[in-house]
Amino acid sequence: MKFKKYLALFTILALTVVMFAGCNDSATPDPSNGDNGTDEGQMDAEQYINTYLVSDPTTLDPSLRSDTYSSTILVNTLESLVRMEERDGDYYQNRGDAETWEYNEDGTVWTFYLGDNKWEDGEPVTAHDYVYSLRRSSNPATGSPNSYFLTPIVNFEEVNNGTLPVEELGVRAIDEKTLEITLTNPVPAFLSMIDSTVYYPQRQDKVEEWGERYGSEAQYTISNGPFKVDSWTPNSSIILSKNENYWDAESVSLERVVYNIMTDETTYYNAFESGQIDFVGTGRTEWLERFQQRDDVNFNSYTSATITYSFYNSRDDLFQNENIRKAFTLAIDREDINEVAFSGLRVPTYGWVVPTISVGNTTFRDAAGDTILEMKAELEAEGLTSKDLLLQGMEELGLGDDPESLNVTFSLAGTDDWFRTLGEYLQQVYREELGVNIEIDFSEWGIFYSNVTSGNYQIGFMGWGAYYNDPYDVLSLFVSDQDMIETGWGNDEYDALIREAAKEMDDEARLELYIQAENILLRDEMVVSPLATSRVNQFVKDYVHNYSTLGFSNMGLKYVYTSGR
Amino acid sequence: MLKYIIKRLGYAVLTLFIVVTLTFFLMRSIPGDPLASMARGLPEQTRANFYAKYGLDQPLFTQYTMYMQNFVRGDLGESVVFPGRSVTDTIKRTAPVSGLIGGISLILGFAIGISLGIIAALNKNRWPDYIVMFIAILGVTIPIFVLASLAQYLFSVRLGWFPSSGWGDLRHLFLPVAVSFFGPIASFARYLKSSMLETLSQDYILTAKAKGLSKRAVILKHTLRNSMIPIVTILAARIVAVFTGSFIVERMFGVPGIGFYYISSINNNDYSMILGTTVFYAALFIVAQLFVDFIYMMVDPRIRVGS
Repeated sequence: MKFKKYLALFTILALTVVMFAGCNDSATPDPSNGDNGTDEGQMDAEQYINTYLVSDPTTLDPSLRSDTYSSTILVNTLESLVRMEERDGDYYQNRGDAETWEYNEDGTVWTFYLGDNKWEDGEPVTAHDYVYSLRRSSNPATGSPNSYFLTPIVNFEEVNNGTLPVEELGVRAIDEKTLEITLTNPVPAFLSMIDSTVYYPQRQDKVEEWGERYGSEAQYTISNGPFKVDSWTPNSSIILSKNENYWDAESVSLERVVYNIMTDETTYYNAFESGQIDFVGTGRTEWLERFQQRDDVNFNSYTSATITYSFYNSRDDLFQNENIRKAFTLAIDREDINEVAFSGLRVPTYGWVVPTISVGNTTFRDAAGDTILEMKAELEAEGLTSKDLLLQGMEELGLGDDPESLNVTFSLAGTDDWFRTLGEYLQQVYREELGVNIEIDFSEWGIFYSNVTSGNYQIGFMGWGAYYNDPYDVLSLFVSDQDMIETGWGNDEYDALIREAAKEMDDEARLELYIQAENILLRDEMVVSPLATSRVNQFVKDYVHNYSTLGFSNMGLKYVYTSGR
Repeated sequence: MLKYIIKRLGYAVLTLFIVVTLTFFLMRSIPGDPLASMARGLPEQTRANFYAKYGLDQPLFTQYTMYMQNFVRGDLGESVVFPGRSVTDTIKRTAPVSGLIGGISLILGFAIGISLGIIAALNKNRWPDYIVMFIAILGVTIPIFVLASLAQYLFSVRLGWFPSSGWGDLRHLFLPVAVSFFGPIASFARYLKSSMLETLSQDYILTAKAKGLSKRAVILKHTLRNSMIPIVTILAARIVAVFTGSFIVERMFGVPGIGFYYISSINNNDYSMILGTTVFYAALFIVAQLFVDFIYMMVDPRIRVGS
């Protein structure tokens, strides 16, 4: 066995030498891109990556997708106007189809000047492709689950509810290569926003030719990005190959990328161990330890934008009171719950805006502080505990002074062992800290979610992933006419702050508004109890270079290459 | 006979109709919908547009009659969760994959199981019997996901002989088949052994032996044939399972078969896919039952249709 491996390695090395002897250095990658796996030696002759997706993408139609797996593929196969990348460990706003862009004085009219990118069939990418795509997504007949990302565009709501024709949407092609998008209000994070799949271009001729089949099979996709879809065997694999017509094809080293669909955890761990895939992610301590012992892998661990939280029904008789909500929030030790529920693998979180989000160059949490931690310290400085808050709230509601008399049900969206442990832990904490005996309601996701949306719950437990890097993404969820977290809470001052921040183009002023808003949400009202932020724990074979580990970058595999496979 | 067949076919259609109707209403009584499984709060208008697209905004009974009209025309609709994928195409594509793995494991399992069963019955309470029964007990008691993990670890991580998962060439067949035929071996061996032991104690076997027939003739002609009835029964269930596939095996080895859709469509509330796979399963089962009844008649002359 050993011998065969060495033989194979030797053959590859020999081939590499032969290949490179006969070619110049133009294939060596630009070392300024990315910082992961610094350039060590020559690139392998054969450039390919084998990796996996945990589930089959639902569709590769940018208007109809809504799962994360399809966006993993689309980031590699479609080019948007701009592309958020990583350079030297920091975000770098690179161009995409748009060579340059500008906006008018108040930030409501954005003009994008397209370069000469081509689709995989050689047709030029034009402003019409963008106009068509945005109109198609906002058309109510399309039934796009992501269309609400187009909300800032003029007339979106009227188009989306069918009162105006799609032609009235605030997007137009000034000429073949000039695209203009008009917004109702200035949106400071608009560039981050258009880097999401619903803003990707679509080919009208192809979409109309393929009809409902568009995006459902490899032959019904068309790419203008670094890679194109070669084949897609549903529930088995998706194979991409380099798109030679891509404007920046010379930065793309990989000739072939295989995404195996691996639904089972053990399967992808075993596949990584047997060398079948080059990347693997895990949230399990035993596998973390096992992979960390390997000397042929690089370990990357970075905080993601997904928060786990509990949330209160503010229309409930008990949880309408903010002191009660504060008591239930402050009673939880976030370090402790991270150890018990997440094996210490997440990041204890003390504010609603996750630690990865920033405004301009300032990380939001650095500026806003660890709100919940501070509140706890302030409480302790007064010689009080969370139980005192509970008693105060009970008094305000006229419920006496016996916490044991309270009926509280905590709803969990799962019935397996993990949820059982979490439930027992919560019961124990609330008994010790507040003297309240809570009941746990375990139900399947569908039942849980329909209870939550109909307001039939007291405390719930969920996760939410931010889409783009601006506090607006997560803070707007609580604006009273959206109420996406289903707390039933609304606050005029909060709504006004978010509305104002949404159009404030100055980073510092915007940051200040968001901090004020989050203070209302947590410090004053405590509508939600942030608990922990997920981390991505990723192992990569050490011959893989130039991938990004920043949560909001959309580099995909564009710059990746292997050396020493 | 013809009348009997027509009657049976009539029952089959009626059963299918009842299955579809029950599935339709049961499935819609599960809380949640295809959008809820996307795990996101969505604005009202987005939801409304999505529901309208799939006709989910119509009254439930209207949706039912619409479905039935299409169903009678042979149109099983389009997946709600995977836009653009027709349910019929998905079944056509995935059932043969499951059928390939299931078929090979069934044939191997049947052949090996029957042979082991004969060996065990003829060597009752001697070491070959013990070994066979040990294998059989392992086969029925080890959960398939344990077996699958073990096989994956041994043959791909440790030995590196076969890919741990995937689909496309012959090497991908080995592990899923090896894991799936273990169960059939065990059940065929066990059933055949006990059924054979019972047959061997029958008077007609004694008669056959007394007539001076060779041992070979006694076993093959008289014992085996009469011991096959319980085997035919479990074979029917197994034939259905061949095409429906195994959720666990398909999931663990990345096999793009139908078993995966059968389970995942329920979790995703993919209405048309749930109905489509259920109808497929039910139809297969009904056909297999018919088939078994005809086989019974061939194997055992005592089982005859009353006039």
